[in-house]
Amino acid sequence: MRRNPPEPSGNAPLRIYGAAVIYGAALDTTLVLETPEHVTFRYQLAGPGQRFAAYLVDFGIRGLILGMAVFLVALAGGSFFADLWGLELGILLLLFFVVEWGYFLFFESLSRGASPGKRALRLRVIRQDGLPVSFGDSLLRNLLRAADLLPTFYVVGVITMCLDDKFRRLGDLVARTIVVFEPRATGLGPSTKRERAATAPRPPGTALPLPARPMLSRRERAALALFHRRAPELSVARARELAEIWAPTLRARFDVPDADALALLETLHERTVDS
Amino acid sequence: MSFKNVDAFVQARRPIWEALASELVGDRPLAKRPAAVISRVARLYREVCTDRMRAERLGLNPSALHYVDALVSRAHAALYDARPEPLSNWRSFMVREFPRALRKNGALFGIACFLFFVPFALTLSQTLFNPEAAARILPIETLEQMAEAYSQEPSGRTGGESATMAGFYVYNNVGIAFRCFATGILFGLGTAFFLVYNGAITGAITGHVIQTGGGINILTFIAGHAPLELTAIVISGAAGLEMGRALLVTEGRTRLGSLWHQRHGILAQVVGAALMLLAAAFVEGFWSPSSAPARLKWGVGIGLMTLVVLYLGFAGRRKAR
Repeated sequence: MRRNPPEPSGNAPLRIYGAAVIYGAALDTTLVLETPEHVTFRYQLAGPGQRFAAYLVDFGIRGLILGMAVFLVALAGGSFFADLWGLELGILLLLFFVVEWGYFLFFESLSRGASPGKRALRLRVIRQDGLPVSFGDSLLRNLLRAADLLPTFYVVGVITMCLDDKFRRLGDLVARTIVVFEPRATGLGPSTKRERAATAPRPPGTALPLPARPMLSRRERAALALFHRRAPELSVARARELAEIWAPTLRARFDVPDADALALLETLHERTVDS
Repeated sequence: MSFKNVDAFVQARRPIWEALASELVGDRPLAKRPAAVISRVARLYREVCTDRMRAERLGLNPSALHYVDALVSRAHAALYDARPEPLSNWRSFMVREFPRALRKNGALFGIACFLFFVPFALTLSQTLFNPEAAARILPIETLEQMAEAYSQEPSGRTGGESATMAGFYVYNNVGIAFRCFATGILFGLGTAFFLVYNGAITGAITGHVIQTGGGINILTFIAGHAPLELTAIVISGAAGLEMGRALLVTEGRTRLGSLWHQRHGILAQVVGAALMLLAAAFVEGFWSPSSAPARLKWGVGIGLMTLVVLYLGFAGRRKAR
């Protein structure tokens, strides 16, 4: 039997920030793709919850469109029930067809993979290779909806999504598409010097008896810097929980047995950065 | 360029990121924008790619990394976005691609015919010779409604009624065809079910109406649109079965890779079937119930049947020059 060359499957290794390359199994929802010219993309895959929320928004919009159409037809017919029989009803049924089968296709192929609901939740359909979906891709993934929503309420689709490492439903598997989350510009910190001065934390622990130039390895300094930037995005309790993992070692090393974990890490970071 | 720390890095590079982000706002393809914008985006993209690598080395916080990631991938998509499959090629699709794709899938088209017409013939013969049989297949009310509808010769509807029915046929029939196709992803089983189911129902209704005396009426009614409608339903089934076969007979590919390899032909059949059903819906809405003489309707039916066979069997056989 003739065997075809292996398909380019688009299954790039899944990697995690700052960790080793991990093949096959993802610990978080970051998908890493690498092009031949060594440009690497990291996508945040959208999970079933986000996609369900987007679906609800789209469902509402579709309901609104059809509800308004029914209302207009009813107005044109003069009464709500009696004269609903004629051309306007034919157009209404056509509209039902178009909205049921064409809504997602229309918006996904016109606005680069984002139906209004997806846009509201900052989701987008893209091809597995990172390019925008074409009309054909969108047609295929949305026709397959009819299989995904079987037997009712998208049971097949949700099960498929949960089994797949990229949260793809049947339509996505067939059309080779994924749904990704595009975060807003967050975590960049304040943009101007004044803002930075205003928001810069002044931890109470500046009085900690620490050396002016604490001896810390490069990796340790990087970890402190990362924590420093990340802490404002976390709740205080969670930040302290994370800090407590490392704090005991540091307390022992710098001989500050009673230092608060957050203040300790923050002070160490300041003294390594500013030196 | 080296940066003392992450904050200095973000502060220095942020304007570049924001400049790129502002160029990528909106859905207008990059190719349709001025050349200066394209080369500006390309330059900014290279800068941000470099920043992405620096960011990881400097230990940028994850949420800021995600922002840069999204920026890089959006810019890449905008720059490399090729729009293949243009919609302008409808003529070539109708004249060549669709009938060719169907002929290539001839064996499964035969099986789809079998799956539809054998149950059709079975329920037809059952209901034809056994008055009680229909009631075991369909609810009595539906049957009475059908028998009533065909108890008289079609005498023409008002234009409004015809439009309503045409709309209904589009909604109902194209929906059936799409479902019949899509469920083929379950290794063809869903498609097989819908073909058998629709064949059985259609046969039962036809048989029952004939049995209760509306025979000539219903056959005259369906003569016009049946060649288009039934053929199209079977074609959508053939496409669904092809999807199932691609999953089973992979020729060394992965199952999904095998399906991906066949997608053009499969999609062509589905779109072709949908267009045929669209045409059928208007025939069924406006022509079939009209008061035109029965002989003319039969003539048109036979004419359409011949056209469908010639079109699907021969269109696009010769290579395009």
